[in-house]
Amino acid sequence: MKKIQIASLVVLVVVAIAVCLLESGALTLLQSRLLGVISPISRSGSAVKNSIGSLGKDLLSLDQLQVEYERVLAENRKLRAENNGLRDLQHDNDHLRQVLGYRERSSFRLVPALVLGHDAGVWWSTIKINRGSADGVAPDMPVITDKGLVGKVSGVSSNLSEVLLITDENCKVAAKVEGTKEQGISAGSRDPVGELRLTFLSKLADLQPGQKVYTAGVSGGIFPSGIALGTVKSFHARELDGEAILEPSADLGTLEEVFIVTGAK
Amino acid sequence: MRQGILFIILLLLLPFAVAVQDLLPAIPPFQARILLLPVVFCFGVIALPLVPALFFAMATALVQGLVLLQIQSGQAELGLTVPVVFFLVWAIVLQMASEATHGMRWEVHALGSAVVTLTLLSVEFLVLCVRRGGFPLEMTVLLRILIPSVASLLIAPLLYFVLRNLVPVFIEEANLAKKTNFSR
Repeated sequence: MKKIQIASLVVLVVVAIAVCLLESGALTLLQSRLLGVISPISRSGSAVKNSIGSLGKDLLSLDQLQVEYERVLAENRKLRAENNGLRDLQHDNDHLRQVLGYRERSSFRLVPALVLGHDAGVWWSTIKINRGSADGVAPDMPVITDKGLVGKVSGVSSNLSEVLLITDENCKVAAKVEGTKEQGISAGSRDPVGELRLTFLSKLADLQPGQKVYTAGVSGGIFPSGIALGTVKSFHARELDGEAILEPSADLGTLEEVFIVTGAK
Repeated sequence: MRQGILFIILLLLLPFAVAVQDLLPAIPPFQARILLLPVVFCFGVIALPLVPALFFAMATALVQGLVLLQIQSGQAELGLTVPVVFFLVWAIVLQMASEATHGMRWEVHALGSAVVTLTLLSVEFLVLCVRRGGFPLEMTVLLRILIPSVASLLIAPLLYFVLRNLVPVFIEEANLAKKTNFSR
C-alpha cells in the first residue's frame, strides 16, 4: 500500500473513534445540521408530491377557490383543536385546581405545520414537519390535531422538525380514563401496529370498549391535561396491573396537517 | 480527480436518498418501508476503490446514525458506534465480493443491497431489544425486516443502471484503481 493510503486509513480510524465518542449534545447538534441539509429536499419533494396528488382536484376547481378552501379548512381544524382543548380543560378545571393545584389555562398557543413525510425508520414512529426553531418550535413540545394528541417534537432544525408519534415505544404519556379514576401510562410498541398500550391500571378496572382516554397532565410532564389520546378497544388484567389497548384518537397514518403546542395563551 | 467527483456525487446522494425514502409511502399491510440508503451505500462501496469506499461507509454511517438518533434520558438510544462498525465491516466485505467477481456487477449490488438492508434492520432490532429489554420476535417484526430487504433487491438494479449510465467514465476509472490496489 502507498504511504498516502496508510495515512488515510489512520485518519479514518481516528475519525471513527472520535465519532463513536461523541456525546448526546454534540449528536443533537449534528442531527440538527443534517435535518437542515435534508430540509430543502424534503420540502421540494413534499410540494411535488402534493402537486401530483392534487392534480385531479385542480382540474376540477378554480385555483382561487382551492386556495381559499385550504385556508378555511386549516382555520377550521385549528379552531376545532383549540375548542377540543378548551372543552376538556373546562371539564377538569375545577377538580384539578382544587386537588392538584394546576394553574388555570384558557387555551393553547398553536403553530400550524404541514407533514412532509413519515420517516422510513422501521423501529421508530416519527414524522417530519415543516416548522422549526425559526417558528418557535423546541424539543418536547406537544403536537396535536383537532382529533387529539399526535406526539412530541424530538428533533429541531431551523425550519424542519421531527415528531415522535404516540405509537412509538419511547413516547410515554400519562393518561386518564373518562368517567373513572383510572390513570396509567400510554405508549406504543416496538412492533408498531398503530395501537397504544395503556398500562399500570388497576387490575380491577372495569374498562369498556369505547371509553375515551385523555392526557392526565402530570406535574413536570410535557403534555397538557385533557387532550384526547384514544379510545379503549379492550382491557385485560395482568399479573400485577391492568392493561388496555387503545385506538389513537388522531389518525396517525394519514396526517397532513398538525399543530404544535408552543404554550398557553 | 474523477474519483473525487464520483465520491462527491455519491456523498450528495446520501441526504437525497434519506429525503426520498421518507417521501415514499409505506407498503401495506404491515406498513413496511422502502430503504434507499443501503442501496446507495452498496453502489458507492462497489464503485469506489478501497480507501474512498471506507470513507464513504463512514459518511453513510453518520447519516444513518443521525437520522435515527433518539435521545432518551440524555443518552442516544442507538448512537453512532453501531452504524460506524456495521457500515465499515460491510464496506470491506463488499469490496472483497467485488474483487472476487472481477469488478462491478449488478448482481453483487442487488444481492449486497438486500443483505445489507436485512442485516441493518436486524442489528437495529437487536440493539433496541438490548436497550429497552424484551425480545418480541413476532411475524410482524420478521415481515418488517424481510419486506424492505426484498424491496432493496428489486430497486437496486434500477439505481445501478441509472448511475452506471450517468457516470460510466468515473466508475470505469475507479474500478481500474481498485484492481490496481488489490493487485499490490
